[in-house]
Amino acid sequence: MSNEFWSTCLSRLEAELPQQQFNTWIRALSASPTADPRSLELLAPNRFVLQWVRERYLRRIEEIGHDHFGEPVQVTLAIGNTPRPAAVKANTAPAMPKPTPGPANAPAAPAIAKGREDSQTQSRASSESSESAAYERTRLNRDFTFDSLVTGRANDLARAAAMQVAQNPGTSYNPLFVYGGVGLGKTHLIHALGNAVWKQNPKAVIRYVHAEDYYADVVRAYQQKSFDQFKRYYRSLDLLLIDDIQFFNNKNRTQEEFFHAFNALTEARKQIVITCDTYPKDVTGLEDRLISRFDWGLTVQIEPPELEMRVAILKKKAEVERILLTDDVAFLIAKNLRSNVRELEGALKKVLAFARFHGRDISLELAKEALRDLLAAHNRQITFELIQKTVSDYYKIKVSDMHSKKRTRAIARPRQVAMFLAKELTPSSLPSIGEAFGGRDHTTVLHACRTIAELRLADQQLNHDLHVLTQTLRS
Amino acid sequence: MRQLTLNLRPERTPRFDNFVVGANREALDSVRLLACYGQPQAIYLWGEAGSGRSHLLQAAVADARANGRAAELAKQPGSDGDYPLPPGGLLCLDAADSLDAAGQAALFRSFIRAPGQACSLLIGGDAPPASLRLREDVRTRIGQCLVFELKPLDDGHKGEMLALYGLSRGLMLEPDLISWLLRHGRRDLPSLLAAIDTLDEASLARHRPPTLPLLRELMQGNLLPPEAS
Repeated sequence: MSNEFWSTCLSRLEAELPQQQFNTWIRALSASPTADPRSLELLAPNRFVLQWVRERYLRRIEEIGHDHFGEPVQVTLAIGNTPRPAAVKANTAPAMPKPTPGPANAPAAPAIAKGREDSQTQSRASSESSESAAYERTRLNRDFTFDSLVTGRANDLARAAAMQVAQNPGTSYNPLFVYGGVGLGKTHLIHALGNAVWKQNPKAVIRYVHAEDYYADVVRAYQQKSFDQFKRYYRSLDLLLIDDIQFFNNKNRTQEEFFHAFNALTEARKQIVITCDTYPKDVTGLEDRLISRFDWGLTVQIEPPELEMRVAILKKKAEVERILLTDDVAFLIAKNLRSNVRELEGALKKVLAFARFHGRDISLELAKEALRDLLAAHNRQITFELIQKTVSDYYKIKVSDMHSKKRTRAIARPRQVAMFLAKELTPSSLPSIGEAFGGRDHTTVLHACRTIAELRLADQQLNHDLHVLTQTLRS
Repeated sequence: MRQLTLNLRPERTPRFDNFVVGANREALDSVRLLACYGQPQAIYLWGEAGSGRSHLLQAAVADARANGRAAELAKQPGSDGDYPLPPGGLLCLDAADSLDAAGQAALFRSFIRAPGQACSLLIGGDAPPASLRLREDVRTRIGQCLVFELKPLDDGHKGEMLALYGLSRGLMLEPDLISWLLRHGRRDLPSLLAAIDTLDEASLARHRPPTLPLLRELMQGNLLPPEAS
């Protein structure tokens, strides 16, 4: 059977299957030349792939054959030497060495497949290769862009600031300091900023570095006595994106080096972007002179995404996987996993994997089944009692006031905060929340939630309280 | 007369094909995929003691190596304070629930650096991500993995597991013996396997076949190892 048929099969299956499935299972196969025009022998690299393809894709390949030739075809599977799938090649290609400072130590360009190109192609490949190597050195993740970042009330200010900085690096806000709880998308945002700058100017020298890796660079420079090289490298950047700066706490030498790099870069009007899990003044173990410099530019917060935004995030992530996620399934996940985007993503992965494994379409029923354990584990985490106790302790009132009829501001406001948190952090119904707060009506709960949601927009102290309480309850 | 036995046991190498799968087919297939291809990039397996976590982790290391990928089963961070991240390979780490501060910091760095090294992660623990008492930035990264609970085996599968385990030690265990043990012994897997070990040793020492009467004697005489906690 001709290779032409196998090519048809490949393009049909590529269009039908999610990218990852296609790369893993279908691209791993190759067609063995056979004399019989009505048969196709496919070679799989190992028994595991063979079995998987036989169980899940063989029938579909036969159907495509039937469509193609207008008659049944015989498709057989065997184990044989086949080229490994492209996606796997990417994964198993020699990985970059650990981050090392200085262009002299910069990682070599990733291997580019060499074929029988003519010299023109080679020269184009070489230029692409050098651009690709320069991009690799930025340590940016191509998938994290402004387009793939879902925007909502929780992050719109941070996003707008990041976009402005990306348009005018070094001149708008320097540094841009982004803070927020764990798993809310800080890293995505600064990668997006870096990618936008790169897109405008591929010659810009950009570096994303996690604070832990910056620290490791300092240690390495110390051990190898290469501080000059280290300093030269970090001061040569046009854009430095440094993630999770709270990890600098009590690392004096690292802070010292960063302080000097910071001064040199800002003096040269080069852009610095910093993320942190908390407001600059609340970071512990950081020198005052460093903290005061963080105030030079703009400080923006990323808050936990509200329900609608969580739904939008899920749909966006599903879209990347070429899966259509219906609203009911997205709402199910988003309503039950509230804490952060990472666990939201974990839950989505679970649903997709479950659907693939069982060869079923994604539906509400399937999602419930896939997430049964996960939801049970989450929902038993935060109880009304825990919320009431935590909020009472925080505002120094009695737990019994949570159930009392007292309406003085000093008691009513914490009670409203607790109701708001109960709605945000548990999947319970409003009537049951009202019941847990001294047998109140669900409209009282609704009123409390609306009041707190409105007040937090204008009242920074209240916003801070909610931030702290949420973190406390989740940790 | 008692025969002294040498402490030599046939090694039972954990592999995918001697894992009694029970209701864990999806988890097993996903771990095989990760070991072989590095996809998905990270999996977290949780389950009670004896659920097969360690078996799958060790099997993944063996399988990855057989497929030409470097793989490490890390216990403690190395002298540099980090877990090894073989480029293009696999890092397995068990008992994430009981990591100390240094272990958590090392795991955090592994999460950050693994994508750059094209290294996949297979992590085991005794609780779902939401219940792990770990640093929040570590806990949520575990929650971002593809998560599977390893479901305990039902009695039928436990029987199958015990029969296979017996065979690996050269014992043909009668079905009656296995079902008696499942009815009378402690039913967690470590205790069951320990009972078979004791039966095997007693059988060799006393020159008696490993039959139900011998097992009964051992249990009645409290000669089986103490119950696993």
